[in-house]
Amino acid sequence: MAHSPLRRTGRAVLALLTATALISGCGSGPDDGGSSDALDAPGAEALGDGRTTVEFWHAMKGANAAAVDKLVADFNAANGGKVEVKAVYQGNYDETIAKYKASVQQKNTPALIQVYDIGTRFMVDSKQVVPMHRFVEKDGFPLADIEPNIASYYSIDGKLWSMPFNTSTPLLYLNKEAFTSAGLDPTKPPKTLTEIGELAKKLTVKDASGKTTRYGFGAAIYGWLLEQLLATDGKEYCDNGNGRQQLASKVQFDQPAAVQVAQWWADLVKNGYATNTGRKTDDAQAAFKAGTVAMHLESTSVLRGYVDAAAGKFTVLTAPYPKISDASTGGPIIGGASLWINGVGHSAAEKRAAWEFVKFAAGATPQAQWHTGTGYVPINVKAMEQIDKAWTEKYPQFRTAVDQLHALPPSVASAGCLLGVMPQARKASEDGLEAAIVGAKPADQAMKEAATGVTAAIDSYNKSVR
Amino acid sequence: MSPPLVVERSPSGATTTSGPRRERALSWLLLLPSVAVFALFIFWPLGRTLYLSTHGNDIFGAPGAYVGLDHYADMFSASFAGILATTALFTLISVLPAVLGALLVVLLLESRIRGVRVLRTAFALPFAFSVATASVVFAVIYNPAIGIANGLLGAVGVDRVDWLTDPSIALPAVGAATVWMNLGYNVLVLSAGVAAIPQEVVEAARLDGATGWRLATGITIPLLSPQLFFLVVVSTIHALQSFGQIHILTKGGPDDATSTLVYSIYERAFAYGSSDFGAASAQAVVLLLIMLACTAVQFGILERRVHYR
Repeated sequence: MAHSPLRRTGRAVLALLTATALISGCGSGPDDGGSSDALDAPGAEALGDGRTTVEFWHAMKGANAAAVDKLVADFNAANGGKVEVKAVYQGNYDETIAKYKASVQQKNTPALIQVYDIGTRFMVDSKQVVPMHRFVEKDGFPLADIEPNIASYYSIDGKLWSMPFNTSTPLLYLNKEAFTSAGLDPTKPPKTLTEIGELAKKLTVKDASGKTTRYGFGAAIYGWLLEQLLATDGKEYCDNGNGRQQLASKVQFDQPAAVQVAQWWADLVKNGYATNTGRKTDDAQAAFKAGTVAMHLESTSVLRGYVDAAAGKFTVLTAPYPKISDASTGGPIIGGASLWINGVGHSAAEKRAAWEFVKFAAGATPQAQWHTGTGYVPINVKAMEQIDKAWTEKYPQFRTAVDQLHALPPSVASAGCLLGVMPQARKASEDGLEAAIVGAKPADQAMKEAATGVTAAIDSYNKSVR
Repeated sequence: MSPPLVVERSPSGATTTSGPRRERALSWLLLLPSVAVFALFIFWPLGRTLYLSTHGNDIFGAPGAYVGLDHYADMFSASFAGILATTALFTLISVLPAVLGALLVVLLLESRIRGVRVLRTAFALPFAFSVATASVVFAVIYNPAIGIANGLLGAVGVDRVDWLTDPSIALPAVGAATVWMNLGYNVLVLSAGVAAIPQEVVEAARLDGATGWRLATGITIPLLSPQLFFLVVVSTIHALQSFGQIHILTKGGPDDATSTLVYSIYERAFAYGSSDFGAASAQAVVLLLIMLACTAVQFGILERRVHYR
């Protein structure tokens, strides 16, 4: 009996599907989700003869997205079609992690994802990822090449969980001409908050009618800046050793040092020596770029944009991030974002392919390109050797960030707080700072209420991952 | 329960049920698409929201253990009362000026001056802007460093205003942006209403000597009352649901001054790495109840004064 045309079509479709599965090597059956070896690190043999395609979710836009695309294109070209990475932009860091949460529920995670520093604890607790140290051990990857201060953020009990990717440090930005016209020496930048306060008074300029045309100080009400100040003061942001001994149970941004920061900031605004541009970093950046602010706190990652925007108007200078007091001996936290490899729901070939890309991206040459293309600090200690002299001379300000990084003594405080609800904690600290700055509440009360407000979220998070 | 059976007796004496039954089946069949759409996009999400509002969440946001009415009980707090007060104030300052302002514009445009068509188009233009676009424009206007608003004030010698960073000014500033956004639509609706007023009524009034204010309060406004009522109801619902302008301009700040109920729902569910869908759903249910109550009250009180022709 002859086959019916319908059955023949069905068989052809089946054959085609099988062939596609074989070619793409995406043999991620449902059976390897949740099995014990889903979180193992496979060796190079796992790639087999086929071609493995993996998705890479990232949160980079603008010039940084172009740098990601170039990195991915270089990697794909170097691997001659055996491994192919597809970079997919998923919105900002918050949006990326929100989509990741949805993808875990739908059992459809990408093999590789870029997550911000404050998502670290969540990623560990998600139980979806292959700890990076397993790949490092498998391949004998030279971990000494990775900046130790950066690696410490993403390490728990000395084990690396994710590969640092883009790293920025905070800086003090100065408007050189504002200093010279006020008769101040721009080569002697302020080192403490008190010094910034004193200089801010001298740098504030008013016109004949009494209107302020330039403020001494201005920065976004951005929780990250407070985290950095506490770290430079050697203070831990959350309990249980910054959440590194065991799960943190509360945040500590109501401690005296943090209240001191809030009070200092509120006083500057109240006295008219600082402008309050709100929480949006864009608005604070616009104020500095417009020359209406003489001193400013921001990340290294905006330096390139500042230098370009100020061209012909004023000179951008950078100085090490200030400390709370002369007695402060710590350094800032080296955060940014890192790369995570998902194990659950992914085949050995996919996991291996993701690792191949991670290994490549962490290399000295790609990191050197990444640094010059974006302004992020290279995570590979050998990358700076690869950067050509001409570029370093053109942007001497970048030196500040790298020097600051190397001068840093690694400590529990500068490793940063590991907290499952860290993004909410950061937002709460901004609530506290803002309430103090706009004068709605006294600084100590504002910070106290903000800190205790996070406890319920921490409790419910800790309960659900225990 | 037995279905009502319609039995008809045909002239020949034989019973038949096929006619009406077929008709009823047909009516259900015709209703099916809209019922399906409602079920899929309204009733199922509503049921799901109620379900989520009584459950906890794991760290990925998947519903967890049953928590009863805990999420609702959590709302009896000072901070949630503040959110409700902000929501009410925002609704008030964005609905009333937009409706009354549009009425004023439409009445003024009644006068027979040259270029009134151009003006009418100009006033209706905000309707063509999406909330996101208009909000971005207002973000530039209010910008603390390079904003046009402070630039203009500076030019006439007035000190700068912290439009979006002063807690007492931020809500009116966002409200003003919302009024501008809604004005166009309101002008459009009221213009159509004015155009539909029978000319003979107006002429009769004019013959009796009514002009200007008298004509407006005696004839035009009463005859516009169905449109005004419609605008108040719809704008209130819109104001309660406002999200885009708050998200783009203030993100609920400063010091929670613009944190409305919808924004709080968003923050609970999605912002800052949060995935507390349980608490967010409970707040969404409260929002639904508030909107139902507002609409019911408006129908109960305002509609009595509406003059339908």
